[in-house]
Formats: sequence, structure tokens, C-alpha cells
Amino acid sequence: MSVLRPFRATDMFKFNHINLDLWTETYAINFYLGYFSRWPDMCAVQETPQGRIMGYVMGKAEGAGTERHGHVTALSVAPEYRRLGLARKFMSFLEQVSDENYRGYFVDLYVRCINTAAIHMYEGFGYSVYRRVKEYYQNLGLGLNPRDEEDGFDMRKPLSRDPMRRSVRANGRDITVSAHEVP
Amino acid sequence: MDRQIRPIYEALDTGSNKSAILACNKVLKKQPNNLLVKALKALALVRSQKVEEALVLCDEVLASKPADDPTLAAMMHVLRGLGRHMDMVTMYEDAYKQQPGNEELGTQTFFANVRIGNWKAAQQIATKMHKQFQDDHYLYWSVMSALLQAHDPSTPEALRTVLLKLAHRLISSSATPSFYNADRFHLHVNVLKELGLYDEAFEMVESETGKVVCSSNLACDELRREIWKLKGLTKEAGERAEKRILEAKDRNWLEFLAVLDGTFADLTSQPSDVEAAKAAVSERIVKAREFFGKIVEIDGMKDRSGHLALLELEKRARHHGLATDSAALNSSLEHYFQSFGGKACCYEDLKPYIELEGDELARWTAMLENQPATFASLSDIWRYINAQKLLRYNLSAADLTPEAETKRAVQYLDAYLDGLKLGKDLPSYDLQPADDLAILSAQAFVNIWKQTGDEAFLCNAAALLEYAIARSKMSYQIRLHLIRIYRLLGAPSLALEHYRSINVKQVQNDTLSHFILSRASTFSLSSIGDLTYTSECLESSRIYLSNSEETAEFIVRAFGSEKYSQIPDFIEFEDRLDNSLQRDLVKMEHVRMRIAHEPINSELVDMELIELKFIFDRVHHDNRDFDILANYQPRSVASFNQQTQFLEKTPGLGWLWVFLKIYIKAFQLASDLDDTVEDKLLIGDRPKPSYDPETKIPLNERLAMRKQEEINELTPDESLFYDYASALSQWLTPYHDYTRPPPSAVLAEAAKITEQKTGHPLKGLEISADAATNGHAKKDEEPPAVVEPPAQITQYFDDMLKRFKEVLEGKGLPHELLHLVTLTQEAFLLFVIETTRFKTPSVIKVNKLGALAQHIKEIRAKASAVLAEISSALVSYAEQEATAERRKEVVQACKPIIHESGLDHDFVLNVAKKITDARKQITDGVGKGLVRVCKTHA
Repeated sequence: MSVLRPFRATDMFKFNHINLDLWTETYAINFYLGYFSRWPDMCAVQETPQGRIMGYVMGKAEGAGTERHGHVTALSVAPEYRRLGLARKFMSFLEQVSDENYRGYFVDLYVRCINTAAIHMYEGFGYSVYRRVKEYYQNLGLGLNPRDEEDGFDMRKPLSRDPMRRSVRANGRDITVSAHEVP
Repeated sequence: MDRQIRPIYEALDTGSNKSAILACNKVLKKQPNNLLVKALKALALVRSQKVEEALVLCDEVLASKPADDPTLAAMMHVLRGLGRHMDMVTMYEDAYKQQPGNEELGTQTFFANVRIGNWKAAQQIATKMHKQFQDDHYLYWSVMSALLQAHDPSTPEALRTVLLKLAHRLISSSATPSFYNADRFHLHVNVLKELGLYDEAFEMVESETGKVVCSSNLACDELRREIWKLKGLTKEAGERAEKRILEAKDRNWLEFLAVLDGTFADLTSQPSDVEAAKAAVSERIVKAREFFGKIVEIDGMKDRSGHLALLELEKRARHHGLATDSAALNSSLEHYFQSFGGKACCYEDLKPYIELEGDELARWTAMLENQPATFASLSDIWRYINAQKLLRYNLSAADLTPEAETKRAVQYLDAYLDGLKLGKDLPSYDLQPADDLAILSAQAFVNIWKQTGDEAFLCNAAALLEYAIARSKMSYQIRLHLIRIYRLLGAPSLALEHYRSINVKQVQNDTLSHFILSRASTFSLSSIGDLTYTSECLESSRIYLSNSEETAEFIVRAFGSEKYSQIPDFIEFEDRLDNSLQRDLVKMEHVRMRIAHEPINSELVDMELIELKFIFDRVHHDNRDFDILANYQPRSVASFNQQTQFLEKTPGLGWLWVFLKIYIKAFQLASDLDDTVEDKLLIGDRPKPSYDPETKIPLNERLAMRKQEEINELTPDESLFYDYASALSQWLTPYHDYTRPPPSAVLAEAAKITEQKTGHPLKGLEISADAATNGHAKKDEEPPAVVEPPAQITQYFDDMLKRFKEVLEGKGLPHELLHLVTLTQEAFLLFVIETTRFKTPSVIKVNKLGALAQHIKEIRAKASAVLAEISSALVSYAEQEATAERRKEVVQACKPIIHESGLDHDFVLNVAKKITDARKQITDGVGKGLVRVCKTHA
């Protein structure tokens, strides 16, 4: 339960409690403005009845032909609003927009290989690993196995235009590519 | 040709500005009039900070009215780098005039106007382009520009409707319907809304195509809801929402609010027959209760909406005096707690509904007190945490005796330590589920400190939070608490360490830097050459530069990609960041630190004067995030944020205004610049004029205004400082005015320096021969008679010495001590700024101001003596801080929280050492700095 509304430029003054989280990066303002000026319909926040932002999602549409798809660039929920189903709502929102507004074949996203909680969650939403991308992320400095800390999974879920599920595969975890091979 | 130009571009692209300049010079030797190369050289110069040289080239290129794309593009970057957006508009307008058939030039001219927010011109260009090139998007550009012009504060009221009507006429003339594109549709509905044409707007959003657009575009859907409201369709919206909730399973809280608003619509729409309306609403309440009850049944614990809607329904029913079942609120609360007490958000959800009294409070409290402190699962611990927070919220003042609060603090802490077991296997980067119990304990201790003034309780809070942060390294909340507490304890280096660990970045600098930079000059050691805080100010201010360089480009891009719904927000964002209150509070602190470190010369004085005067004309926005600091204090006392403010006063606009007045006045006296000179020396555009009527009053009158609401934001010592500063500037003004060299002489000097630097004379300046003397020209009138300095000046330093001794003996907290010491030093520096002119013997002699020089000498001697005395007292205070006895005292004070193991004696001793060392460092440094400052300005 929450208020789902557009993510706007002035929300950058109010997203601290979400962004001061290890997994969430605060980018330069041109990053956010770049998304808002191209895919405003793929950026949304959920807020509490009192108007506090609980989390946000930012996405974009890219690729041509059967590669046309929605991409989840950032999805983040403040720690105190986790376990409330916000991520599911964001993802179904983005899937709907990718399907209806952009006629995409699938939605994809990247996640750190060590972020197991997030991986399980996305699997629960119908996503599966399509490939492992080497050194996709910066090191977090946690001193863990650097391979796991820096590698990311590319996870995908087919949309209504892909009823034969051609955009996903079962053995994705075994397929590794380097970061410069992905967009 | 290409062969010669390419290396220049390559050098520029790779950031090797030096080799770009060399490559340009090579070409210019053979073709001295090559405009493109001149423009590129100007760009390389701008990027290597050689502004004066760049200006010369830039003006040459502009004067020859370039019209080719590469030169224009290069010049666009040059002008942007110099902040000369007005010149960019002129440049493109001229080029477009030369080639009216060039669509790209038209577009660039439009964009140049967009960058500076010149909507009137933008609208005219877009209209012209639409006629000429017949592309629909130009039409929408002109509609958007008209709408923005209508909203611009500079647009007169009467003109606004005219502009909106124009926008309406334009959009209605579009060849293609607006619903083909969600953002055009949004713009269209918006224009109708602004004109109050709600029926037409309603028709649009409820048409078949309109519904489709709104269903997959949140911005349009938001507008749709607004139109329903504006049309007064509250009841209908409620009915529609019921359907969405039931049939489409929509759990957007806005739908539930629509049902609630619909329920009470008869009463909220100012009915003529109140009794009848009440009866109707009573019936609707029953229905709504049934409806939400049904949703609760369907959703169970899957969703909170139905449950929360029942609470909101009860609250509103009570508000209108229509509550029927007195136990309903209690049972809804209990039900909610039972269902969602295990979620972190429960406290926040329930807070609006628990301001209970009497029996209701007793029933609620009893229920919460029954929550056991046994934690087998995550839900258990959250249930306990929520119960404690909810109980605490309703504690009355009588419940908050130091004894009772200490008992609570210890209880929270014990539960915390117990709760740690639940998260013992979590990875080191995860948050501990028990964290909030440590925070509750710390807040209870801070509350006792606030009542008793005994710093021992702050030490308890600090030590237990240090223990908690070691177990939950990523908890920004714990760190923010520590920052606040360490500043109160006078341990700024520890506060800064925690602030840096939070890793504040980008735009967060604007909203969060107040935690560390508010009144930062109190904790700065710039006087002894430690520039930590000075550079922190500069670091945190970089975001404002990226904003002014980049945000306007995205307004341009949003036009380019026709995302009209975003443009007003981009403009607001740019304005709020550009005119951020925090930006200028930090600027002020930076100035205060700077003068304690740098030589006070005309370079510093002139530059700061110009900058502070710009700030004085701004309309500020307060973007600071205070809400981020959790508050678990009872509603009967101040919030944690308020309790931990620096000396109970958070600097705001009033504070900024006072300090601006003080410093502008001081720099104005010290400077030789007057407005005519300033205009000639300014490089970029002047900021847009403010719409605040007060800025129209002459500067000197504004500077002299004293407003109580501004003074209210000052601490008592700042208030004394303000009085002193006002008296000082008033006393010295006539002597400065008499001695200051005439503007022509100042300009001549500036021209001489520019010519030395660039080899070119200062542009647009003709210097009359007689002005080029040394500034000591004979004056016609007699010098003003020297009067005795007022007591506010001569007494100030003695008074501050007395204050210092009081606070020192009264065992005030170190931050209080540092506050008044740094202000006394600042008073001395202000005196230095305002008397430097009279240090030159020839000035005194020529102007016959010997008596003044004598007064100045006496005051300086007095001030130096006081500062020396404070200095030695502070240095010996520092010595006492870093002793084993002091550490032992701190450990003793922390007895309530010391445990057998873990949070044990050794751990606390370690924290005590860190605190006392940090205190020693700052008090010793500030103390020694006093002497250093006196010596520098002896």
C-alpha cells in the first residue's frame, strides 16, 4: 500500500533516506534529469500517506527489433519500507509501461551477484538469469570475493509480445560475458 | 584546412588545453582572422581559467557576427563557460537573421532563450518557426513557452490570462490531436485546467483515448485526478475508486483517499443545511466502514490499505463529531498493531491516530506494555520496537523524570543487546534489526540531558551509539545521531569522521551538509592553518556549479524530446538549488573561516563583496533535510532534531540576512569598489533581478534595517556580535567615505593590472588623464571630525571576556565555549577589515586622521589583550581535557550503560579517550589560533 506517482526532479531533495543505503548509488543530477527528459513515464516513486518517499524506480526503453525491451536502471526501497511488496508493484508498473507504451519483448535488469536477497526477489517476480556480466560494478570495498562483488547478473522476464519466451534461457548463470559486450 | 583544425579539436576533447592553445596560435599566425580558430582558442583559454584573455578573443568573434555551425558551437561553449548567456542569445539571433531559412539556427536561437528562461522571446521564435517549417512540435514549443511565461514571476497579473488564452488558441489549432503523445496531451489538459475550463478538461481525460493515455502514464493520471477534484466530483471519484479497489484490485492509497473524501464530501463542501449533511455523511460512514471491512477481509495481512483506511475513517468521523462507537478507534488500532506490528513502518503508520487521552490511552498503553521482550524472529523484534516507540510517543511530562528516563534508556539498551543475537549471522554490511532500540536508548539519554544539562547523559548516548555503529556499519541513522551529539560535546573531528562515512554525494550535499557545516566556523581551525572545514565547504558547494552548468541543458533536452510534463519541475529544481539557503549559509561560513586564515587585502574584500551582494538579492529556498533524523521523543517534549540543535537555534534565512548585512557593510567600507566600478569589472551575466520588493530599496538602507524576526534566529552571543558590528561600521563610515579614492582612480588601477596580465586594455573604458594619479588627490572639503568610539565597541571585548569566564566556571558545554570564543575572534577580524585602510601612515597624514588612528590603536590593543587571555585559559582547559582523570570521569558518568562484556568498561574508556582527545584538539587549536590571528594583524 502506497501512493504511486511520477518521480520528479524535485524529489531529489527528498530521497536521502533511500539513497544512504549501501546498495543505492546517488548519481550526478544529470543522470536523473537525463532519464526524466527521455523516459519520464518509466520513473516512479511510492510514498506513504504522509508524503514520505518509500522507494523509487527508474527505467528506460532501448534496443530495436526483438531486442526492444524495458530496462530497470535503478530500483530502491528504503530499509524501513521493505517487506511490504513495494518492489513487486514497481516491477509490474514498469512491465506494463514497457509492454504498452514501448511494445518491448522483455524487461531486463542488472543485479550484483552477491545481492542474493534481491536475486531471490526478482526470481519470485518471474525473472531469470540470462547471463553473468564480468566486472559490471565497482567494488564495494566489503572485502568479499571480488569476483562476486563486482560481477552482475543480467536478469530478464518476457512480456506479452514474447509468448514463446525466446528472450530468456534456462542456463543463463553459466553464460559469462564481459562488461563491454553489454549496452 | 581540416588538417589544421582537427588537432585542435582532439586536444580540446582530451582536455589538453595547453596544446590546443599552441595549435590555435600556429594557425592564427598564418590566418589571423580565422573566426573558428579564435573561438576554439577562447574555449581553451576559458577551460584553463585564463578568463581575461578569453574575453578579448570572445568579444572579437562576437563582433564579427559568426554564422557558421562550428564557430557558433564553439562559441556556445565559450559563453556558457563565462556565464554569458545573454550574449549567446544575441549571437544566435544575429546568425538566424542572416540565414532565416536555417531551421537548425532557429532551433538554437529558441534553445538559447530557453536556457535563460526568456519565455517571451522563446514563444515568438517557436511561433515563427511553426509558420515557416510547418512542424507540429514548434507549435507545442510555443504553447509551452506561453504557459511558462504566464507562470513567470516577472509577468504582470493581467497578462497571464492573455497568455493562457493564447496557449489555448495555439493548441486548439494543432493539425494532429494532442493524445497521440502523452506529454502533448498533458500540456493540453494543463492549459485547460489553468484557464478553469474543467468541463473540457474532463471531457479530454474521460474520452476513450484519454483513458488509455492516463492508464499508462502516471503524470497524466495525476492530472486526471486533479481535474475530477476541481470539477467538484468528489463523490463520483469516491464511487469510481470503490470500483477500482474492488474490481481492478488497485491498492493505490489515492483510491482509498478518494473513497474517504467522497464519504465526507457533503460536509466538506460547505453545505447550506449542516444537519442534513451530517445525517447523510453518517449513513455514508456506515457504508464506508462496511466497504473497508470487506477489503480487510479480502486482503488480510497482504496489504495495509483497508486497515489504515478504517483508522482514517474513524479519525475523520471524530473530527466531524460523527463517531458512533467509542471503542472503534481502539479496536482498529489494536487490530492494526496485531496485523502489522511486525513491520518497520507500523509506528509511522499509526502515529497520526494515537493522540489518545484518558481511558482510551490506558487501554492502548496496557495492550502495548504486554509486548514481550523475547525475540525469536524479525517480526518479534519489530513488534517490540514498535510497541516501545508507540508507548514513548504518549508519555506525559510527568513520566519523564530523569530517573524514569534512565530506567527506560537502560531497558531499551538491554533489549538492544539481546536483539543483537538475532542478527549475529548477518553479513557485516547489513543493518542490525535491533538498531532502533539503540537509537531509542540514545534519545532517552539526550532527553535527560536536555532536562538536567548534565553532559554525562550525552556521553552515555555517544558511547552506546559507538557500540551500535560498530555492529551496524551502514546505519546512517546512528551516524547522524552521533554527529549531532559530538557537535554538542565539542568533538567536531569525530562528527566529521561519521559524516564522511555516510558518503554524502552530489545533490545530497545541499540537503545534508547542514549536519556538519551549520555554524561550522565555530569548529574550524583555519586560524592555525588547518583547512579541513574550509575545504569541506568548497567540496559541498560543487553541486551548485554543476547545477548552473548542466540543468538548463536538460530543460533544453526536455523541449527537444517533447517531454513537456517535466519542464516546470526542471525549472523549479534548478531554481531551488541555485537559490538554496544552505548554499549561502555555507558560503557565509566559508567567508568567516577564510578571514581567519588569509591576508585581508583588496582581492579578498572586493571579491567577497560582489558575491555577498548577489546573495543579498536572492529569494532563497530551504532544501535542508531535517526529517531524515528519526524522532522517537514523546509528543510532550521537543523533537530530537530540536533538542540537539546547536544552542537551540538553527540558522535560517534571518540568520543569513544578519550576517550578510554585517559582512557586506564591512567589506563595503574596506573596498574601493563602488557600483559603477563593479559593473565594469563584472564578467558573466548579472543574476536575474529578484522580485522581492525589498531589493528595490537602496542597498545602504537595507543594510541598516534591523528586524526582530531576524535577530530571533541568533544566539545571545551572536546578537551581541551584531550590535558590536553595527556600532563599528557606523562609527567608521564617515572616515572611509572621506578617504576612499575616487572611482576613476580605481578603474585606472584595474585597467593597469588587466593590461599587465593580458596585453590588452580593459574594454569599454576610457580613462581621463587626471584620474590616473595615485588616489591621494586633494579634496575640497575638510576631513570629518574624529569622534570617540561608542561604548558598544570599546566595551565589547571586556564583556566577552566576562562571558567566557562565566561559561567556563559554569561548566558550560565545550560548544558553548567555542561559540563565544570564535565570535570574539571574529569581532577582532571585523575590526581589522574595517581599519586596514587606516593602517597606511600616508592615508592618515594626507587626510588628517591622526586622532582616529589613536583610537584604533587603543581598541586593537584592548582586543589583543582579551584574546591573549582567553587563549591561555583555553589552552590550559585543553590540557585538562586530555588527562586520565577526565577520561575516568567520563567512564564514571557512563555507568548506566556499562556491561560485563561487549559494551564493557574498556569499550567505554576507549570512547572516552576519543572524545577527550577530540576536545583537546579543538580547544587547543582554537586557543592557539587566537594568538596567531592577533600576531598576523598586530
